[in-house]
Amino acid sequence: MSLELWLGMAVAALGTYLIRLLPLLWMQRRLKRRDGDAAVDALPKWLVVLGPMMIAAVLGVSLMPRTPDPAGWLATIVGLGVTLVVWRKTRSLGWPVIGGVLTFGIVVIVARVVI
Amino acid sequence: MADTDMPPSPNAWLIGVREAVPLLGGYIPVAVSFGLISTQAGFSTVETLAISALIYAGASQFLFVGMIASGSPLWLTVALTLLINVRHVVYAPNLAPWLPKSRWWPWLMHGLTDQVFALAHSRLPQLPAASRVGWFFGAALLAWLSWIAGSLLGAVAGEWLTRRWPLLSEVMPFALPALFLVLLVPRITCRRWALALGISIVAALLCTLTGLTNIGIPLAAACGALCFYLVRLPETAATGGGKRR
Repeated sequence: MSLELWLGMAVAALGTYLIRLLPLLWMQRRLKRRDGDAAVDALPKWLVVLGPMMIAAVLGVSLMPRTPDPAGWLATIVGLGVTLVVWRKTRSLGWPVIGGVLTFGIVVIVARVVI
Repeated sequence: MADTDMPPSPNAWLIGVREAVPLLGGYIPVAVSFGLISTQAGFSTVETLAISALIYAGASQFLFVGMIASGSPLWLTVALTLLINVRHVVYAPNLAPWLPKSRWWPWLMHGLTDQVFALAHSRLPQLPAASRVGWFFGAALLAWLSWIAGSLLGAVAGEWLTRRWPLLSEVMPFALPALFLVLLVPRITCRRWALALGISIVAALLCTLTGLTNIGIPLAAACGALCFYLVRLPETAATGGGKRR
């Protein structure tokens, strides 16, 4: 990379970091000013709603299988179902993910053979 | 702010590392793809690693190397890279109420990606205040290092890897939707939340299907939030939160 390109990359990196950092400093100042309130109550309501919506959106974006053919979509649906069932049984973070990934893999392989 | 009177928990970072392991299933295959594409676009291994370590934001990195390789003006490349990452502005304020005072937080914000946010937003409120810095450090560090390691792997052996184990790179990314689903389900406490979150998921999926992945996340989240405010449904408890490991 030329020096100009390195500088461009540094600006992109610094800008991305500031996008992550500055809102934290703003919110920490806001929380400090409202020290008497419970911290969560000091959050603007729209922000409380937007947080889970962002997670839902990240879920939606990640749902598309790498190979979006019938086998990939079927594996996604069955994998999500198994993830939910394992979560209901264990209420844990790791086991549902392991169960979901294994199921996804098995369904993809079987479906590719059958379909 | 949460109080910090409790003694620090020495194992908190290990718990963070353990709980961030599912992220690797999504990070490593994408990072390998980035490493491969970056070197094919003419960037050296060191340059690829520098981009992954310093910018550390998947979609915008692909855009950065793609635009540079196609000869786009540098200012436009940097502007669009930052534009894609603007969605991150809502992440830290959402976590702020659960971040006890510590001089480490400003540094740790470099690790606040979409996925780390999703994990931290669910887990930090459940952890004792004294464990939160350590937990976040462990989780964010593992995610960051796995992204760099995956980029390195992609840069030096990406072509060979994708030829040798094509199915692995297809199966492992399913860890991400599985993890996000587990993080989201306890939040479905009434029909109103269920509908709004459902709309957000479907809108994001539709955006991805139509090639609008980058704008999809903020757009879908806005759709879900709008639905939350506009639609009033009788509130019925559906799912309780559960204990988490």
